[in-house]
Amino acid sequence: MAEARELTPPPLHAVPSSKEKKYDRQLRLWAASGQAALEQAHILLINSGSGVTGVETLKNLVLPGIGNFTILDSALVSEADLGVNFFLDEGCLGEFRAEHTCRFLQELNPDVKGNYIAEVRKNGSQSFIAKDKAFLPYTLIIVSAPINPACLALISDYAASNGIPVFYLHSVGYYSHFSVSLPPAFPIVDTHPDPASITDLRLLKPWPALTQFAQEKTSGLSSLSAHDLGHIPYVLLLLHYLEQWTANHNGEAPISYKDKTAFREMVRSAGPPEEENYHEAVAAVLKSLNPPTPPSSVLAVLNAPEAQKLTPTSASFWYIARAIYTFYEQHGELPLPGAVPDMKAQSSDYIRLQNIYKSKAREDYQVVLAEVRRLEKQIGRSAEMAVDEKEVEQFCKGAAHVKLVRGKPLTVARPGESVRWGSESAKNAVNALAMPDSGVLLYIAFLAWDLFTGSHDEDALGGAAKVPGEHDQELDSDEQKMLGIAQKILDDVITEAGTFVEEPQYGEMKEELGKMVKELVRAGGSELHNIAALTGGMVAQEVIKAITKQYVPIDNTCVFDVNLAVGVFMVLGGVGQFFPSIGVQGIIVGVYVILFGLATGLLEFQIPPQVARYASFMFSFIGRGVFYIFIGSIIMGDNWWKYTAGSIVALVGIGYVVLEYIPSIEPPANMRDADAGWGAEQV
Amino acid sequence: MPRDRFLKQSLGSLYSHIRSSRILVVGAGGIGCELLKNLVTTGFGEIHVVDLDTIDLSNLNRQFLFRHAHIKKSKALVAKETAGRFNPNVKIEAHHANIKDPQFNVDWFKSFVIVFNALDNLDARRHVNKMCLAADVPLIESGTTGFNGQVQPIRKGLTQCYDCTPKETPKSFPVCTIRSTPSQPIHCIVWAKSYLFSELFGISEEEAPDLDHTEDSDNAAEIESLRAEAAALKTIRMAMGSEEFPCKVFKKVYTDDIDRLRGMEDMWKTRRAPDALDYDELLARAGQVDPSISLQDQKTWSVEENFAVFVDSLKRLSNRLEELKANAETGNAPPILSFDKDDKDTLDFVAAAANLRSTVFGIETRSEFDIKQMAGNIIPAIATTNATTAALCVLEAFKIMRGELQKAKMVFLTKSVDRMITKEPLSHPKPDCPVCGNAQARLVVDTSKATLSDLVEQLLKAKLEYTDEISISTDAGIVYDPDLEENLPKKLAELGISKDTFITVRDEDDDTARVNLVLAISEVELDEQTQPLTLIPATIAIPRKAKPTNGVATANGDTEPVEQAVSGAKRKRDVDDAELETDNIRKRGKVAEELNGNGPITLDDEEGAIVLD
Repeated sequence: MAEARELTPPPLHAVPSSKEKKYDRQLRLWAASGQAALEQAHILLINSGSGVTGVETLKNLVLPGIGNFTILDSALVSEADLGVNFFLDEGCLGEFRAEHTCRFLQELNPDVKGNYIAEVRKNGSQSFIAKDKAFLPYTLIIVSAPINPACLALISDYAASNGIPVFYLHSVGYYSHFSVSLPPAFPIVDTHPDPASITDLRLLKPWPALTQFAQEKTSGLSSLSAHDLGHIPYVLLLLHYLEQWTANHNGEAPISYKDKTAFREMVRSAGPPEEENYHEAVAAVLKSLNPPTPPSSVLAVLNAPEAQKLTPTSASFWYIARAIYTFYEQHGELPLPGAVPDMKAQSSDYIRLQNIYKSKAREDYQVVLAEVRRLEKQIGRSAEMAVDEKEVEQFCKGAAHVKLVRGKPLTVARPGESVRWGSESAKNAVNALAMPDSGVLLYIAFLAWDLFTGSHDEDALGGAAKVPGEHDQELDSDEQKMLGIAQKILDDVITEAGTFVEEPQYGEMKEELGKMVKELVRAGGSELHNIAALTGGMVAQEVIKAITKQYVPIDNTCVFDVNLAVGVFMVLGGVGQFFPSIGVQGIIVGVYVILFGLATGLLEFQIPPQVARYASFMFSFIGRGVFYIFIGSIIMGDNWWKYTAGSIVALVGIGYVVLEYIPSIEPPANMRDADAGWGAEQV
Repeated sequence: MPRDRFLKQSLGSLYSHIRSSRILVVGAGGIGCELLKNLVTTGFGEIHVVDLDTIDLSNLNRQFLFRHAHIKKSKALVAKETAGRFNPNVKIEAHHANIKDPQFNVDWFKSFVIVFNALDNLDARRHVNKMCLAADVPLIESGTTGFNGQVQPIRKGLTQCYDCTPKETPKSFPVCTIRSTPSQPIHCIVWAKSYLFSELFGISEEEAPDLDHTEDSDNAAEIESLRAEAAALKTIRMAMGSEEFPCKVFKKVYTDDIDRLRGMEDMWKTRRAPDALDYDELLARAGQVDPSISLQDQKTWSVEENFAVFVDSLKRLSNRLEELKANAETGNAPPILSFDKDDKDTLDFVAAAANLRSTVFGIETRSEFDIKQMAGNIIPAIATTNATTAALCVLEAFKIMRGELQKAKMVFLTKSVDRMITKEPLSHPKPDCPVCGNAQARLVVDTSKATLSDLVEQLLKAKLEYTDEISISTDAGIVYDPDLEENLPKKLAELGISKDTFITVRDEDDDTARVNLVLAISEVELDEQTQPLTLIPATIAIPRKAKPTNGVATANGDTEPVEQAVSGAKRKRDVDDAELETDNIRKRGKVAEELNGNGPITLDDEEGAIVLD
């Protein structure tokens, strides 16, 4: 390579868009708007301990072109750092780690500006964190444990009152954790829903232009040549037959499953069996004949208190939300997104159809925009803050899929105080604990780890805290201390939930917790590079979601245990989601049962695209039946209520299996809606 | 405290195993870079990395071992240099080469404790899968697409192999749709890329992988006129470099060919007939358009703008090709240009040409940004997914190296907010898998002495109890079956059977059908007395084929990717191979050109996942 390096650098493509070219592969995920948001961000990493995960996270943010980063880290580079941190080398020994990691990271991308802060503090001197307005420049803060609890609380409070996302992470041996604290109102317009789920054709509520086009193309259907009949866009066919249907059904459209299948039969028998457009029409009946009513969760966002009580400085999101809610109240539907799926048709017809949908979408957008402008005037919003038209347009397109995350502050474990979960979170946590490997125990172990380090701080603020297991000779005593702390947290959360856990479950929990504590102490605060890399990848991805405000971020805690295999998730109010794993078989089964239960329940309401891919058996009577019988038989056992619950589930399963053999019964829509194709994801 | 104290403590006895392990990473792209970092930091003793690709600007948003100054250099070599600096105790060997090269034979694969696949294409993945099965070395297969990632540990005989689940192949279109009756933007893009561009600047369109010839026989007359059309275009190619060249090309494909098509009235009874474009009229209208409009790649260009970009990019490409020709040494094959989505000249041309054709057929036109994605089969790729996926690969490798295959899992990374990481247990091999369902053995032979007849009579029939109903094929095609006996007296070497190739023996006797037998060839020089064919192991159990469950006869029902008869006559290349070969030539060509220090250079990057769209 030596010679190669001496060659003159190759001529660059003299194209001004070389930045777009460099970022091409990611622009296809978050577009120019997401990239602009990244470039405006300034991330503060507060690094301590062995500090690898924080640096790995930054690496994954520097590469896609974050605007600025600052590393606050007062550690000096040691021999041990060199073994785990890829962004340090021999020459850095004894110097500030912040300086050198910053330099190496900056090398990865010249478009990114890196800064560092390293402090040499005498006892009593004020640390950076405690300084007034210390956090002013930063748009997102990542804190890597260990950190003094008072400092963490300070950061958490600051972030909550200034609407800044904070990430708090641990990476200790084979375990890692991160929690995300998003602002109290964190709206996401561009949630990137599955493309198949966003088609909105308004077949049950066509507008005059569409109706007219349908009539024009479908009048005298019987006299059309086979070719012309085979090229009527299926959307128009459906509109035609809907008109017939409603004429014969007292003006009622087919909404119930029964009516829809009858209607489908009517379409099927009306058309020549070989024509593709009729096939498309038949296939679309169950999916597309939906009243244009948005999900109540979306209405709740559009009508949130922030939208009702607009102020001159409200975020533009709320102005648009309010305007769209008004639109909904007036029209009984959301603005039309305007996209039309591919279908068999002559090009000219297809283009005309597209234009009809586009113009309607455009009209709806104009109405919403006018309402936004009216609101601005009424509330007295200044002209400089006028809501961007593009934002209104995008909101109109994605209105049915907007999402609002109500971020919660970090849970800070403070020495001398019990960890407060909040009664709802505590209940959720304890319920989850009944599944011994839920991840809650690992979270508790990390809280205990924080309490231990918090009570072994060597100076008042920010100096290197002592982590459990740091000194080999104290391994046993540290483990005993930390186990005591952990068990108290466990008991406290059970008490806070207002319940108790029976033996032998309680004993098993304590034993499991003991193993985790031992493992965490044994690590002595050290990181494994590979776990740091993994955690850094996941944290950086959530950071990108939080900055770009695209895609739905996790809410709000994730734990990783290398022994584990499945990712399980829970919402624990203040706590959130977990990625635990498998260890003991009973645990796995438990976790699966919960997951399947949730998933099955969810299927009754909406079908995530993954289900069709990974669990296609859920879409037939026999498949679902056998699955229920299986789940039922797993649940059975131990005591009477388990037998009862298991039997009910299994009986339902048997019922489903029986249905499979009754030919006259067709599966309901939620068994059939699944999108059959599973795309280009095979990797 | 020594740098590896904690590693030693955490990994226990595995650590010393890791320190002395020789491992292979195939691919130094998105996942490859992350893998190298993790492996080097974990302290693996000797790491080999193979990649034939060179570094492109669009790699830098995630392939963090590369900097701006490394553009156009070998990925493998630069990765070695950058990663090697970190841990002086780790030995890294870089190979700027194709993993399918014969130097990387079964013995070479055998020398590794574990192999990591960090590839971007189906063909190479299949190859490494096959080699790892033949060498009986564990393989960690991985890939990413956008936010999704996947890790699959593969162990011969114990788990499913890469080919146990059928993989989708790239989509192709009937020739007539592309050449005569396009109805979607993608048809026009394929036309511009695979027909017009390659007829003018590259090799003939017949080799393009996205054209499907299966319906050709139904449209014989039209196919014939299309051939004539292509031939006429070739003569226009002669005018390259002249002032009239753009005008000639334009008039040919947007006026004359369209007029001819329009004349075929049957074709337009059911479709909107195309409207030819007029060069002079467009030239007048586009007079004021600045071709630098092509920098606005997110805007949908007007007809005039497309026209201006078309003419301008055609000139740019002609000049490049002329320059290449001027510099080419006599005797070599004439230089060609290849379409590359990251080569602005070729992309401009394809985008403008496709949009002009869309205009002719009344199809919606697209922005260059969109066309780039469709023409280049671009897979979105980001650092975060690659980082997480690579780390998961190493965790799975730990399990295998500890001998805990039962704990290894198939891992999926998704953008779900519920479960970022999901795992499922590994499945048993599929008995009917066209790759690992085969019996495998090694054949030690002197290919310059042994004949095909020796192989059939002495080994297959005498020792392995095959009947007459067998066929034998090499990578190139069938060399023997009951109706193809002319090769029997030929020496194996004459049939392309040589060291480090594979032959497949198919049992086609309906009564006793056994699974295919794959023989890896090892070469020895032997004197007359010695047995010319030796099988290792000397005896091998070849299980019966699983009965087809659907009752449909499966004579020749193998689903292997390559299967064409050769009888010493002309051999047709599989389209995938053809594409891959040109790809390789191009990729290597880049480096050669760099050393020469001049000449335009085409770049290619297909990161992340196999291309299926």
